[in-house]
Amino acid sequence: MWANKFPRRTFLKATAATAAAVGAGDVFSLGEWMKQASAAPVTKIPSLCETCSAACGMWVHVKNGRIWKVTGQKDHGQSKGKLCARGHAGIAQAYHKDRITHPMKRVGENDFVPITWEQAYSEIAAKLKKVLQEHGPDKVFFSHNPRPTNAFYWPRLMAAVGSSTIQSHHSMCSTGRDVAYKWTTGGMATADLGNTKYIVFLGRNYVEGLSPSSAAGMEAAYAKGTNIIVVDPRHSNACLFATEWVPIRPGTDLALLLAVANVLIAENLYDKEFVDEWCVGFDEFKKGMKDYTPEWASSVTDIPAATIYAIARGLGKNRPASCIEQGYKAPNGCNYANGTQMFRMVACVNALLGNYGKAGGMKFGNPPKLGSLDAKKHPAPPKPKAKRCDGVGIKGEFPLCQPNQGIVHMMPQRALEGKAKAGFLYRINVARNAPQPELLTKGYKALDLFVVCDIKWSESAMCAHYVLPECSAAEREDLPTVVGAAVTMRTAAIDVVHSETKPLPEIVTELAGHMGLGKYFNFTREDVAAAMVKPLGVTLEDLRTKGTVKVKAPAAKPLGFNTKSKKIEMYCQAFADHGYKPVPEWEPPYAKADKNSFVLIHGKQGFLSHTTSISDPYLLAVAKRGDLERLWINADRAKKMGIRDGDLVEVSSPQATRKVRVKVTERVHPEAAYLPAGYGRFAPFLKTGVGYGINPNDFTPCRAEAISGHAMMMEVTVTIRKVGE
Amino acid sequence: MPRYAMIIDAKKCVGCYACQVACQMQNELGPENAYIRFEDRETGKYPNPKYVMVPLQCQHCQDAPCVPVCPTTASHKDKNGLTMVDKDKCMGCRRCVPACPYNARTYLKDEGIVQACNMCLSLVKQGEEPACVSTCLTKARYFGDLDNPKGEFAKQLAKAKQLRPDFGTKPTLLYII
Repeated sequence: MWANKFPRRTFLKATAATAAAVGAGDVFSLGEWMKQASAAPVTKIPSLCETCSAACGMWVHVKNGRIWKVTGQKDHGQSKGKLCARGHAGIAQAYHKDRITHPMKRVGENDFVPITWEQAYSEIAAKLKKVLQEHGPDKVFFSHNPRPTNAFYWPRLMAAVGSSTIQSHHSMCSTGRDVAYKWTTGGMATADLGNTKYIVFLGRNYVEGLSPSSAAGMEAAYAKGTNIIVVDPRHSNACLFATEWVPIRPGTDLALLLAVANVLIAENLYDKEFVDEWCVGFDEFKKGMKDYTPEWASSVTDIPAATIYAIARGLGKNRPASCIEQGYKAPNGCNYANGTQMFRMVACVNALLGNYGKAGGMKFGNPPKLGSLDAKKHPAPPKPKAKRCDGVGIKGEFPLCQPNQGIVHMMPQRALEGKAKAGFLYRINVARNAPQPELLTKGYKALDLFVVCDIKWSESAMCAHYVLPECSAAEREDLPTVVGAAVTMRTAAIDVVHSETKPLPEIVTELAGHMGLGKYFNFTREDVAAAMVKPLGVTLEDLRTKGTVKVKAPAAKPLGFNTKSKKIEMYCQAFADHGYKPVPEWEPPYAKADKNSFVLIHGKQGFLSHTTSISDPYLLAVAKRGDLERLWINADRAKKMGIRDGDLVEVSSPQATRKVRVKVTERVHPEAAYLPAGYGRFAPFLKTGVGYGINPNDFTPCRAEAISGHAMMMEVTVTIRKVGE
Repeated sequence: MPRYAMIIDAKKCVGCYACQVACQMQNELGPENAYIRFEDRETGKYPNPKYVMVPLQCQHCQDAPCVPVCPTTASHKDKNGLTMVDKDKCMGCRRCVPACPYNARTYLKDEGIVQACNMCLSLVKQGEEPACVSTCLTKARYFGDLDNPKGEFAKQLAKAKQLRPDFGTKPTLLYII
């Protein structure tokens, strides 16, 4: 289509068809044509944003067959009628210059040739069969970010192949948190921000690691006078809605929580009745907390003891309408060596507050249940018995890590060790978004077979033997999903832009056919979608017209914890059994700054989701207008080092040296240097955002935390020196 | 005839840039052209810093300095009190760009004309709010009619002030800072 060659936001927005229609008329002037083009009727088609995990409901406004703009769906619980910068910009991915337009085969370093789908399927199937014959399914893995459609299709194919190693992106995200909650409370409860009186955010930033509803929720809570304590080495923009910013030494949140528990117990501020009824191991826990006084924690965290007392008492006096927010990646989902135990402490402090299931405390979700395909007509492959190749569930390796998450960032290392031979990567970019990119790219290339399925080129795709192009969010209909007490679905807003791209269900079904596993895919995506929404009394037509449809909320469940003991495990027997501390103890982070170095921390900016966003031309322009790629350094330390705002500095760890400009600020702890996380793309095939800014992963070694296996992405110190003005 | 205006509560602006990009999409601008820009200010010392982000755009001044400098009358005040640029009359001389003390005018290179915030008049005529207002995540923006203020807009109006009144251009965009 010639129209695709035009940049999207030129004022001439018309397709070939419109131009021809106008051209055929009596009058043809550019002005007339423009007028007709811009006055063309607009249709609104429901879709879901695909720029971050929130997947906001949106309306795609289509004019002349091309996307004009998007607006938020009011009934969607994440967007609530609004969209962020990523959402407004990201829908144009359909027209992006960096799209993968054909199935591609790597024939040399950074050298790919387009091939047919038929060739791609046959060669992938043949190579995968060879790996299966030589090594069995134990050495085959699949990594993705689980979203409704791929979460159905890919694991089903991998099960048919016999592989157990299905991984999500979480070891670079929230595995520390999720493993901790699984073994402590049996799952994650979330803070009831709307009703709480006193809430402590540890690193988590609702207005920059945002969904529209999380930012709105924080603003609303602040406006009505909620006590909001933001503990973070950085004065993030969330502090606009904080009653207090508490700067903390990087990686020491565990010490703060130990001291909060100490005060709650010592001053008898905890909920004894709740603990008696719902917790196991309180006596051991109490004993464990005895020495962690605020005075001790103050020396570890750099927070005044008086502040720690005030936080503990604020939580205790407002319970049960008080809580420690559940966290995400920050501060410890995958960032520090003490991450898993830190989140065990979040769960335990909330237990001391007796806030589970209470207004203003921590609440478990209770989503409506979707249906599934009739298993008699559409038999699913048997559950694979293969051993996992990422060490998850294996004694002596990572026995307690979540099998549905796995340890994605260690697969390149495993490939180099010969423990993995074939891998499939769907729409995650481990090679850029996990630590030590040189190792990651080398490892992926060491596989016998590496297949990447994605929309745009990425650092990971550059390592693949085969790259399979999917069509973008605006071009496809997906499987439905629930959001709150509603069901929602992405529908196709425009025709496929590049004719050789396909929606995922077709790709997986056809690949399965070539593997001789077609019997497990004897249905269409629509069959699956219809079966999913049927029990909720919703039809696909409803979703195609309304986007998001409210359904009846399931009846409230009585409070309960899905752990082995059915209680909150303050003392965790499973941890004891595997040689981990059953009651959290203080463990220092690996990274500690001295007078010449900084702990390199990172975090999101509201207009970027990881590095994928910086390849968006609109979001890249936002960053460039504001010089937002700069490294933050505390003003006092900068002064001592002779560094001024805007200076160019060299940042070095034993692994890498990079140059970046500096933002000198009072808004960061003196021992931390903050690097926004969404920069530093290096894939040679990308035309947008490459070489702009630097990435924290360059400095950090690729490792796995002992319990949950996460990537410990902030465990690195760097030295900084001025090299230019 | 309504006199359209906007109030921006900078204390609620989290710097997410949603308004900037929504505006670009609504007005079909390229990535390099934006009608909304930002200035931020940090005060105080660690560990007690203060931070404010101020979204800036055409202030729709009552004494708009961009109007008299325009040689073709493209820059003009419309019947709703808005400062608008007539695309067909603008010849791209850019005299108005430095005339604006708020630096709120944008030269669109591809079209060879100058434009600025038009209060999304096409949306407003359909009974909707401007794109930046409807997408603001933290409701930091309020749109309304100065002659007939209603709802939240009316409530905020008492607190809202002109930004840099010393410029003497009498903006109708108002701020809470």
